Amino acid sequence: MKPRHLVIIGSSAGGPRILKELFSNIPRLKAGMVLVQHMPAFVNAPLTQSLNQVTGMNVMLASDGDVINEGTVHVIPSGLHCEIEQNQIIRLRGSEKVNFVCPAVDVTMKSIQSQRHLNLTGVILTGMGKDGAKGIAYMKSIGAQTLAQDEHTSIIYGMPQEAAKTGQIDFILPTNKIAEKLVEILPHWH
Amino acid sequence: MEKRVLVVDDDPAVARVVQRALLQKECAVELAANGVEALEVLRQGFRGLVLMDVHMDTLDGWDTISIMVEESLIEGNLVVMLTGDLSPEPRMEGLKEYVLDYITKPFQPLALAELVESYFEDLHPGKPQS
Repeated sequence: MKPRHLVIIGSSAGGPRILKELFSNIPRLKAGMVLVQHMPAFVNAPLTQSLNQVTGMNVMLASDGDVINEGTVHVIPSGLHCEIEQNQIIRLRGSEKVNFVCPAVDVTMKSIQSQRHLNLTGVILTGMGKDGAKGIAYMKSIGAQTLAQDEHTSIIYGMPQEAAKTGQIDFILPTNKIAEKLVEILPHWH
Repeated sequence: MEKRVLVVDDDPAVARVVQRALLQKECAVELAANGVEALEVLRQGFRGLVLMDVHMDTLDGWDTISIMVEESLIEGNLVVMLTGDLSPEPRMEGLKEYVLDYITKPFQPLALAELVESYFEDLHPGKPQS
């Protein structure tokens, strides 16, 4: 059985700018990606559309019940937490804030389960606060590769710093090197 | 689409520099010297991009955003903080989902104007849908 690849990306203030740079350097990869970006709801659709224009991946706004597809970035809409059922199905539920936000990166990352033939990657990008730190440490504990943005290229070095403080980050990298690393570790479409 | 920008800063010199740079990008610029003035403009229906200073004597940037959220004035407004602080105060974490970007002073006026322009191109709900 061929391995599946699942990438969870968490991002907050400054994220739209960083995500545009990151995804500009990402071709269509054989991986499913889930993006949790803290943002007001009216930005959901424009952000999805603008990222779709710069990357080889198919970027779409997630709905409850969506199956995570290879080559697709599923953007989680504002106001609902995302849990990933059986590492494959997006479940959007609950609106109570966690870490002051909804959706919270921690909720999504902690919903992943260890599974044979599933390669996991977690990424924490720019942002204020601690959201994602516990989640990415959990992902590391079940075998994920973990990446965090470096201080120099973070608009706000809060979330990546808290992630780094857990000691569970494999690579602390500038934005362009995060893209390079994803391209290096994930399989491509031929 | 009209690129409307509300510059909220209690330093007139900073506001003028930002205004000049934004006018070069054909933005329609309104100025507010503090949060109270900004809220008045927003209550009158301003929708666009708000460049918000953090530290102001009369209603600071974070308190202004809190009121924007309470009064549903955040809807349709992209908020970008403009500040001399290298990182935001932790007590403001509850407002982070409403702030898209955080620009630290000193800044290059033209680079700032280009960033504002890119936000209108990429993220504003009024942009043409492809």
